Amino acid sequence: MPLDTSTYSLAHLRLDGRRWNELRRLSASISTSGSADGSSYLEQGNTKILCTITGPQEQKQGGARRESNEAKVEVEINVAAFSGVDRKRRARGDRRSVEMQHTIATAFQGVLFTHLYPHSTVVITLHVLSQDGSLLACCLNAATLALIDAGIPMSDYVSACTVASSPTSSEGDGVDATDPLLDLNGVEEQELAFLTIGTSGEEGKVLVLVMETRCRVERLEGMMAVGLEGCGRIRGMLDGVVREHGGKVLEARVG
Amino acid sequence: MANGTAKPTGLAFSRETFAKLTPGPFLQAHLQQAEPVRANGRSLDAFRTPTINTGSLSHSNGSAVVRIGDTAIVCGVRAEVLLASDIPIPPSDDSSEDEMVEQLGLLVPNVELSTGCSPSHLPGNPPSTLAQALSYRILSLLHTANLINLQDLRIQYTEPPTDEDLPDEGPKVVTKAYWTLYLDVLCIALDGNPFDALWAGVLSALQNTQLPKAWWDPDREMIVCSPLASEATRLQLRHLPIASTFAVFSTASPIKARSEAQSWVLADPDDFEEAVCVETVSVVVTSEDDARESVLKLEKCGGGHVGKVEMGQCVRLAHQRWRDWQGVIGG
Repeated sequence: MPLDTSTYSLAHLRLDGRRWNELRRLSASISTSGSADGSSYLEQGNTKILCTITGPQEQKQGGARRESNEAKVEVEINVAAFSGVDRKRRARGDRRSVEMQHTIATAFQGVLFTHLYPHSTVVITLHVLSQDGSLLACCLNAATLALIDAGIPMSDYVSACTVASSPTSSEGDGVDATDPLLDLNGVEEQELAFLTIGTSGEEGKVLVLVMETRCRVERLEGMMAVGLEGCGRIRGMLDGVVREHGGKVLEARVG
Repeated sequence: MANGTAKPTGLAFSRETFAKLTPGPFLQAHLQQAEPVRANGRSLDAFRTPTINTGSLSHSNGSAVVRIGDTAIVCGVRAEVLLASDIPIPPSDDSSEDEMVEQLGLLVPNVELSTGCSPSHLPGNPPSTLAQALSYRILSLLHTANLINLQDLRIQYTEPPTDEDLPDEGPKVVTKAYWTLYLDVLCIALDGNPFDALWAGVLSALQNTQLPKAWWDPDREMIVCSPLASEATRLQLRHLPIASTFAVFSTASPIKARSEAQSWVLADPDDFEEAVCVETVSVVVTSEDDARESVLKLEKCGGGHVGKVEMGQCVRLAHQRWRDWQGVIGG
């Protein structure tokens, strides 16, 4: 396993040449699809996600009419067969997808001003075109941008990133094992213990925290601190994308 | 009002309301002008200009993103190895190479429309009849077009000479495996005319496909690939067929005399026009070796307006579009 042979201790550089606290190249654009209410395309390294929003729209007729004074957020994740290293047709409704969909839906249920749209549904469709780590985090970032494009009011951006507990999977001595790594790619995600953290607001209120691997308790606080800082930086980048788009729209209208 | 002599005030509708309430008469009003124009501002035989972006996906062997107006699709090609020993019924020796591509099933297209690309294709549903029909049309067009040489998809192995071989016999070349190309097409946004965009995506993605150098390792008894990009070979397509679809808007109805009906052939229909037209014509043209252009496939279904003359016009327009597309797609 490349990370375990620990060339990390020599130059403190990861496989792709990043340091422990460097994010991958993030590029995003909003309003990419003309036909959807809101859309965005986000690339974080090699993870490429396309997000479209339909809504707020009338509740679907089928099923029990749900009594509520709030809009409901529904998420659908489409993982393309060519997105991963192996070609795999994901079965609809397989548990990992359902869990991710639920996590994203509850995250946005708390952030969007759903009380403004009673009895309606907001459908977030995420197309995963290429997977290379940090899938949940990128989905949250892409969905934020698309929701802003759709014009649905929300209290603040939701930005997310992944953090690993240490540069090696075997926590042996001889390596400076106190550096949590920020923004993992596919290879690092498979080998290291990591968590996904999603925050909202400038003061960094944590909305989403998912950890499915084991790590030492004393590392957790350090990982969260690094994650919060990373999310703050991503929030700044998302804000830049939105402002740039807004500037172009304004120019087209006024200029 | 009891006073019947008062003139009723006219209802004033905005353009959008008129289009939503009565789409047929809305389109008809546009087409019946002295200079017929469509609701989207295009002329009758104007196609939308395509934009194609290839090679953007890192995990695929080939990929393409095609945008025609507001219709956008993403196509990814993955190549997987099919061992000759795994083929249940080996094809007979007298089938030609082109037939073998079809018999072995080396090209597998799959069209995914239930992605939320339009309000009529909501995600979470099983493939609709339209998606299944499009998958099949792409598959049959791939086989008819004979785009790929079987030799490009073979992984062969030259057996070392043994003592039992006659001295004059040349080295025996055996096909150990084939490359199977899985073409997954995702529709991101649909604004009418999915077939043209899907076919363009499949074509561009195949053109962009790079197959790694592969060989049979006799010691490990498996196919081994080289990870070097410099040793990969680009897939060569024999020719580049282009699809053009037309829709026919007609005022014909069962209660009117047929001679009174007016019809217009609209090139590259968008979603609004597809909803009011029942007749469609699809033409696929190609030109092998830059010689005579030939028609590869003709499909017409729906009403009864398009006859010999109109079909000839459609084929001419399709040829024109083929020439325009060569600049976009042609290498």
